[in-house]
Amino acid sequence: MADERESLSPVKIGLGVLWPVCWTGLPIKLVFAVLILAMGMAQFEGRLGIAFLMLLTSPVTVFAVPTITMGLESHLGEGVGIPLLFLISIPIDIWAFGVVGRTFFLENLRKEPPDGLGLTLWWKSALAGALFLPMLWFTVSTVTETAISTSRSLVEMESLRHVFGTGLPVAERISIELALWGTVASVVLIALLLIGVSLIGWIIRGTAEAAQPATENYQRLITRWDLMRVPADQGLMLTAVTGAGVVLSLLFWAVLPVTTTHPHECCKKPDVKAQPMFKPLDTLNKNEQQIAQMTAQLAMLEQQKAEAESEKDKGKRKAQTGKDAASSAVKKP
Amino acid sequence: MEQSSIPGAQSTATEKVIAFLDDRVGLKQMQAKMLNEPVPGGSRWAYVFGSVLLFLFLMQALTGILLMFYYVPTADHAYASTQYIIHEVDYGWFLLGYHFWGSSAMAVCVIAHMSQVFLWGAYKKPRELLWIVGLALFGIVIGFGFTGYLLPWDQRAYWATTVGVEILDKTPVLGDFMARFLKGGPTPGQMTLSRFFVIHVMILPAALMGLAGLHLFLFRVAGPAGPFRGTSDEIKAKTDYFFPRQIWKDIVGMAAVFATICALAFWEPVVLLEEATPDPGDYHPEPEWYFLFYFQLLRLKIFSGEFGQLLGAVALPVAFMVLLVALPFIDKDPERNIFKRPIALVSWIVVMVTMLLFTVAAVINREFLD
Repeated sequence: MADERESLSPVKIGLGVLWPVCWTGLPIKLVFAVLILAMGMAQFEGRLGIAFLMLLTSPVTVFAVPTITMGLESHLGEGVGIPLLFLISIPIDIWAFGVVGRTFFLENLRKEPPDGLGLTLWWKSALAGALFLPMLWFTVSTVTETAISTSRSLVEMESLRHVFGTGLPVAERISIELALWGTVASVVLIALLLIGVSLIGWIIRGTAEAAQPATENYQRLITRWDLMRVPADQGLMLTAVTGAGVVLSLLFWAVLPVTTTHPHECCKKPDVKAQPMFKPLDTLNKNEQQIAQMTAQLAMLEQQKAEAESEKDKGKRKAQTGKDAASSAVKKP
Repeated sequence: MEQSSIPGAQSTATEKVIAFLDDRVGLKQMQAKMLNEPVPGGSRWAYVFGSVLLFLFLMQALTGILLMFYYVPTADHAYASTQYIIHEVDYGWFLLGYHFWGSSAMAVCVIAHMSQVFLWGAYKKPRELLWIVGLALFGIVIGFGFTGYLLPWDQRAYWATTVGVEILDKTPVLGDFMARFLKGGPTPGQMTLSRFFVIHVMILPAALMGLAGLHLFLFRVAGPAGPFRGTSDEIKAKTDYFFPRQIWKDIVGMAAVFATICALAFWEPVVLLEEATPDPGDYHPEPEWYFLFYFQLLRLKIFSGEFGQLLGAVALPVAFMVLLVALPFIDKDPERNIFKRPIALVSWIVVMVTMLLFTVAAVINREFLD
């Protein structure tokens, strides 16, 4: 058992801490994110906005996301709410790292958690994230772009055209292209993510090496980390949580716009347009009018053509008469 | 009758009311039964999906009732009343947005819940009936999404329903009857809207409430399956009651889902297309995003032609559902650890990757249609 604990891989250690830390901090961060959105203090761009909300789950992105947006000149969105969310996330992540870290040290590593564990793990992880994540972002973007263009060229190859007779149908072509570049991009992303997680694992292992071993048996350790999560005054805790819930709910309804919100200038979405409404009678009348107009135009054109031809005929006849007269004059000297 | 907890002290009004109810309905016994359920291996975040689904359904019911105060289920007024909700009713845009994104959240949570049960091997003996009732609930959630999509009566709603009913029409024997029953005429119109509305607000909620009750009952009878890893001593050491830790996790899960739906309602408020007409014009019909993978799958050449359509539209989904129903009876191995069930793990990955791949492919396909 002790050997098993010693041989825990950095990936397992990293995942064992990062995953619960994300889920411990996320609900609290989301409450603030919703309030900030309701107040109109933050407007997000489409894809980057989604990426941001997803990365909000992670404590290692607090410095990495600003670095990525500045370094790669990407526009995340606008509003004071965005830096505010980053600031709010810091104490939440430190607290989440503390709760999860102490549990992990006792249950999985059987070590006494040192004082200030949350803060230590947070700053080290945030720093590692700030250095590693921009590199990951850049590598995955480059690999994905290359994979997309390569898969497109592969599918357009002449030899494949012969295999499929008239060429690949659209649905099959999209699926094959997507499967090709998606696999490459996913493999690179997963490999880099595992490296990143193992980096955090090394950091946690390094912190654990300096810690004292926990001597109690398993049952006592479970009881210890279990009791760590129970507040000293449960009544006070329940009252505080209920009070905070009521205040936040009231605040939410107070700041919620009564009518539909209009997107900020920076982040306008493309207008969705459909065909104008189909009105059968109007369309029929319009078509009939058009047919009548075109028939009249056709008749006029035919008349003009006939007139032009008759003019030509007249001209030809006149010329012929002239020629005939001239030749008869020559014959009669 | 039980008096105040402190001997000799006067009972408060609340205590008196609780004692009155306890005498008549056995409130305290019920509370003990509901909250003191042992959770083998302790509480986990992976167990929150069932409670979150119940919360989502209650919120959908609440927002749905509020929307019904203004919505008019007639072909003449459905579109206008939905526009009225979005633009005129106080907070109407938010209620509609919440209801719209709530349906997507239900689809996601149902898939997450089913995945958790599948990966944990919690469908195995003695939980076969629990799994089958869960599958029926999954069908109801899909039915909610399908019937609710028509109600705004815009081009998107009209054509998604037309495509859906046409797929249903391909079913042998029953297909024609079901399609005619749902449409109530040769093309979608007033009868279709009325029928979809009744199914959406009456039949499906009643079915869901009944089956969800049965699901909970079967869950309490069989008990939680617990983790698939760990020695019996470890699981015993961590075993805990449902209250307070699992309830706390469930509440946090519900709050997170609520906040996510709110964020989506802010970010992507519901915007209607033009009013429904029998002419699609330039609009390319497509279903709601969680059906997109299947829609894209049917675009493959293998599923064209009479036989191909029957294969894709009927045989494939029916075979998949039959396999899911039969799963507990086929897989009788008591091993629950997913890492020792390679076929189950690979099958789950294949299904998830297929769904993801074809959903993204359907989005890319839009460029080719435009």
